[in-house]
Amino acid sequence: MTEKESLELITSMINKAKNKVSETGTLYLFWGWLILICCIVEFSAIHFFNYANGYYIWFSTWLFLIYQFFFLNKKKKERKVKTYTDEINIFVWIVFFICLSLVIFIGIRFQKPEMIYPLILVMYGMPTFLSGIILKFKSLVIGGVCCWILSIFSVFITGGYQSLFLAAAVIAAWIIPGYLLRKNFTKEKANGV
Amino acid sequence: MEFKELDPILHSQLRLAVMSLLISVKEAEFTFLKEKTNATSGNLSVQISKLKEAGYIEIIKQFNNNYPQTICKITPEGITAFENYVKALQSYMTL
Repeated sequence: MTEKESLELITSMINKAKNKVSETGTLYLFWGWLILICCIVEFSAIHFFNYANGYYIWFSTWLFLIYQFFFLNKKKKERKVKTYTDEINIFVWIVFFICLSLVIFIGIRFQKPEMIYPLILVMYGMPTFLSGIILKFKSLVIGGVCCWILSIFSVFITGGYQSLFLAAAVIAAWIIPGYLLRKNFTKEKANGV
Repeated sequence: MEFKELDPILHSQLRLAVMSLLISVKEAEFTFLKEKTNATSGNLSVQISKLKEAGYIEIIKQFNNNYPQTICKITPEGITAFENYVKALQSYMTL
């Protein structure tokens, strides 16, 4: 093997490792639709059925969180390769989950429910924007920015309408990018990348 | 200009291919390396054992749904050796 051949081999292998099929968009779609349904149920309960405790629906997210834990564990075992990008992305979402839980806890503790939605929107923007940068996926970056813009407007809204802002945010940040990621994944798979 | 010697462990097509793949990712399964290098299982197995003996990679053997799974990971020594190999190659190329 000549020196030139060695360098060509290194370049070709590094490119092969980069071209792996990655994000399927499944978790973005899963959480996007779940949060959207919770928002609609909560909003409908308050505005159409005069049921003030519509927020109970949010407790269902804990069940799905447990399901996600098993889902990710299964995926981890099936995965043939783990990149540095995958690892950073996982930590971004772990940080998001911890911060989101703390924000909700602090909001409830100080009895400031009107602050919870705008802060949740701020939190949603962070991992979405960062994942967009890490995965080099513009739609997620735009989704993250949408969350922050919606958080500003949601501050001026009260009377249970804030959940509609959250619904709009998950459509922009998770559902639309989720379908676009899925489309890319299917395309890459068909091309045999 | 200093004339650097090429590391004989890395100066082999399949071992260099494996190291180039592992330097780009955090860890990879044996099947991933096999698929990307188009090598046979036997040959790949021998070459990764040589890399392990040199301390360039770490091999983790585990079970996944009752099937054996081999995961390979580059070590800090492996990263240094790879960097030195590339530097040596560059010194040859600029001659």
